[in-house]
Amino acid sequence: MVHALQDASLALALAATAFVLVLVLRRMMLTREERARVAVEERLREQALALVDGDPVALPDLDRGEAAIFARMLARYSRQLSGEPREHIARFFDGGGHVDHQSRLLNARRVWKRASAAATLGDMASPTAVPALIDALHDPEREVRAAATRSLALLGASVAVEPIVAELAAGRVQRAVGGWALMQIGAPALTRLRGLLHHDDASVRATAAELIGLVGEASDSPELIGLLRDPSAEVRAKSAHALGRLGAAQAAAMLRGALGDRIFFVRAAAARALGQLGDRPSIPALVHQAQTDRFEAAQAAARALAELSPDGLSAVAHLPTGNAHLREAAGLAEIL
Amino acid sequence: MDLLRDLIELFGICAVAYFAVLNVTYIAFTALAWRSITAHLRGRRFSGVNEALASPLTPPVSVLLPAYNEEAGIAEAVHSLLALRYPEHEVIVVNDGSTDGTVARLAEEFDLVPVGKALRESVDTRTVRGTYVSRREPQLWLIDKENGGKSDALNAGLSAARYPYVCAVDADAILEEDALLRVAKPIIDDPNLVVAAGGIVRIANGCTVERGQVLDVRLPKSRLATFQVIEYFRAFLVGRVGWSRLKSLLIISGAFGLFRRETVEAVGGWRTDTVGEDAELVVRMHRHLRERDEDYRIEFVPDPVCWTEAPESLRALSRQRRRWQRGLAETLWRHRSMLARPRYGALGMVALPYFVLFELVGPIFELASFVLLPAAYLLGMLDTSILVAFAAVAVLLGILLSVAALALEEFSFRRHTHGLEVARMLAYAVLENFGFRQLVDWWRLRGLWDVVRRRKGWGDMRRKGFAALTPLEPVRVDSGQWTVDSGSARDGAVDQSVEHSAEFVRR
Repeated sequence: MVHALQDASLALALAATAFVLVLVLRRMMLTREERARVAVEERLREQALALVDGDPVALPDLDRGEAAIFARMLARYSRQLSGEPREHIARFFDGGGHVDHQSRLLNARRVWKRASAAATLGDMASPTAVPALIDALHDPEREVRAAATRSLALLGASVAVEPIVAELAAGRVQRAVGGWALMQIGAPALTRLRGLLHHDDASVRATAAELIGLVGEASDSPELIGLLRDPSAEVRAKSAHALGRLGAAQAAAMLRGALGDRIFFVRAAAARALGQLGDRPSIPALVHQAQTDRFEAAQAAARALAELSPDGLSAVAHLPTGNAHLREAAGLAEIL
Repeated sequence: MDLLRDLIELFGICAVAYFAVLNVTYIAFTALAWRSITAHLRGRRFSGVNEALASPLTPPVSVLLPAYNEEAGIAEAVHSLLALRYPEHEVIVVNDGSTDGTVARLAEEFDLVPVGKALRESVDTRTVRGTYVSRREPQLWLIDKENGGKSDALNAGLSAARYPYVCAVDADAILEEDALLRVAKPIIDDPNLVVAAGGIVRIANGCTVERGQVLDVRLPKSRLATFQVIEYFRAFLVGRVGWSRLKSLLIISGAFGLFRRETVEAVGGWRTDTVGEDAELVVRMHRHLRERDEDYRIEFVPDPVCWTEAPESLRALSRQRRRWQRGLAETLWRHRSMLARPRYGALGMVALPYFVLFELVGPIFELASFVLLPAAYLLGMLDTSILVAFAAVAVLLGILLSVAALALEEFSFRRHTHGLEVARMLAYAVLENFGFRQLVDWWRLRGLWDVVRRRKGWGDMRRKGFAALTPLEPVRVDSGQWTVDSGSARDGAVDQSVEHSAEFVRR
C-alpha cells in the first residue's frame, strides 16, 4: 500500500513537473516563432507587394517555414483585395501547386486539416478550387462545410449557389454563414435563387425567398406574390418579408389578404411588409390587428401603422380602444 | 473503543473510495476538456464568427441588464452593451426599485423619455412603474419597476424583450466586444436545437479596465483573488467544458448567459424564491425539454468573453461560497425527482448524482477526513508512512489538476501574456492546496448548515468597483433578493461566476 502510494506520488510529481516544463518551453517557442514571423514578413514584404501588383518577382530561396509565412501573408492580403491584385495572388498559388496541394487535403482524414484546406483555398483566390470546394459542401463535418461555403463566397462562385442553398435549407450549413455567402456572391446568385422558389422542399423555397428579399429586385415580386399562397407558413412569411424589403407595391392587395392568415407570424410579416410599402388602404385592418391579435402580430401591426400614419396612430392610440401596442408605437413615432 | 475503531476503519475505506472516484472524475474531465477545447480552437478559424456578424440571417437578441443601485457604473455598462459587435440587438435595463440615482443617471446620459411599452406578461413580476426609451439610442429601453430582486427584474426584462433570444448580463460584468456574437454562435449555428448558451467568466481584479473594456490582463494584487483565478480556470475550462460535452451542463452563469426566450417563458422564467436562480433555471429547462422528449442542447462556449470582480476579503468570499452552496442545495432539492432517473439521460444519471455526492455533501466528507485520518493515526490504526504517502498523493493530485487547467489556458486562450504572472499562477496552484481549498470546504460546510437552519441571510454589499475603486457603502434592503451566483467552487463543475455587485441581507 505504502509503495503504491509512493509510486503514485512520484508519478504525479513527475506529471506536474512535465506540465510546467511544457508550459515554459511552449512559451519560449511561441515567442521565438512570433519573432521569426515578424522578421520574415518584414524581409519579404516588398516581394509580396510586387507580386500583388503583378510585377515580376524573384523570390529568394525560402525554407519550408518561410514559404508558409509568405503564403499566409499573401492569403491575408487576398482577403482585403479584389480584381486584378487578387488574380495575381491566385496565379501565384496556382503556379506553385499550392491550390492542388490544398485541394488534395480536402480529403485528409483529420477534420481540422480538411477544414483548414477549405478555408485556405478561399484565401488563395483561385477559381480552379471551386469544384473541389463544392464537393466539400457535402463533407460530413460542419466545420469543413462552413469553411467551404465561406471560400466559395470569397471566390464569387455562382455555380455554388444551388448546393449552398440546399445545404442551408437542410441545416447542414449555418444560416449565418450561408446567408452571408449568398450575399457575397450577390447578383450572380439571383438567377439560381429564383429557380429555387419552386423547389419541392419548403425550407429551400423559404430560404430562397428570404435571400431574394435581400439581394433581389422589384422584378422578382410576381414570383414572391405567388408564394403568399404557398402551403408552408414559413414560405408565406418569408415571401411577405421579402416583398416588403423589395418595395413591391403590386403585392399590397395580396399582403392585405395575408393579414388574415391563420398563422400569426405570417400575419406579423404581412403587417411589417405593408408598413414598408406605405400601403394606406391597409390601415383599418392593421388597427384591428394591433388591437386584437397576439403579441408579435399586434406589435408588428402597430409599428406598421407608425410608418403609414403617425398622426392617425397617435389618435387611435389615445382612444379608449387603444392598447399598449398602439401606445408604444405612437410613443416611438413621436420621439424618434 | 472497538466501535470507534470500526467506525474509523469504515470511514477510511469510504474515504479512499470517495477520493479515488472523485479524482478519476477530475482526471477524465481534464482530458475531456483538453480534447474539447483543442477542437474548439481549431474550429474557431472556420466557425464563421465574422460572417455571422455580417449576415442578415443572424437572429437578433434582447440584452437584459437588471440593475439595483448601480448609479456609479450603469452608464458605462450600458455604453459597453450598446457597443457590442452584433448585427441587431436591443438593450433593456431593468431598474429594480433602486434607491439611488440609477434612473436619473441613465436618463441624463441617454436622454430617456417615457414611452409606454407593451409587455408580454408571460411571467408575473412586481409592478412596472414606467418604461422609457432613449432618444439617442433607440435600441435602449429602461423598465422601471418595484423592487423584487434580480430574478424578478430579469422576468420583467423577459416580458419586454422584443427579440427571440434574451441575454442576461450582470451590471458589473465586463463583456468583450464580440462576447455576444461568440456566445450566440451555437444558437446561430443550430437555432432549432440550442436553447441556451453560456460563456466563461473571468476575474477582472488587477486588470486594466477602460471604457468598459479589459485592456491589459493582469493577476489581482490580492492573494485571495489570485487563488480564485486558478479556481476559475478549473471551473470553467475543465468543469463547464466537460459537463457541456456530456450534454449535462447544469449552470449558465448569472453574469452572462443567452437563452431562447420562448423556452424561458415556457418554464416560467427565473424563480424568485431561490439564491441559485441561474442554475435552477437551467435545470428546469433541461427537465422541461426532456420530459417532452425534445431534442435540444445547452452549450458552453469556452472563449473568454465576460469579466467580473472577485471578492477580496475573507468575509465576502465566505458569504459568496455559503450562498453558492445554499443555491446548489435548493436546486438539487427542488429537482430531486430527476436524480438517477434514466429519463433525464446523463443529467439524471451522472451529473445530478455527481453534484449531490461530490459538491453538496463533499465538504462534509473532505473535512471529516482532516479529523478522522489524524485520529486513526493517533489510535495507531495508520502508519506514519501511509498517512504521509496518502497526504502526498492527495496534494500532488490537486496540484496536477490545477497545473493541467493552467496549461490548458496557456495552450488555448493565453490571456495572461506576462511570463512572470504565469510563474505566479503556478505558485498559487501549489499553495492553494495548503489552506485555501480547506477554507473553501469549511465555507461550503457552513452553507450546508445554513440550509439545515433554513437561514436566508444575504450579507452586506461591498463592492470595490473596476473604475473608481471606491468602496460603496453597505446597502441593506428588506424585500427582494438581489445578487447571486450559485454552485460551489470546488471542482470547477459548478458556478464560479463572481458575486453580483450587491449582496443583501434579507431577514
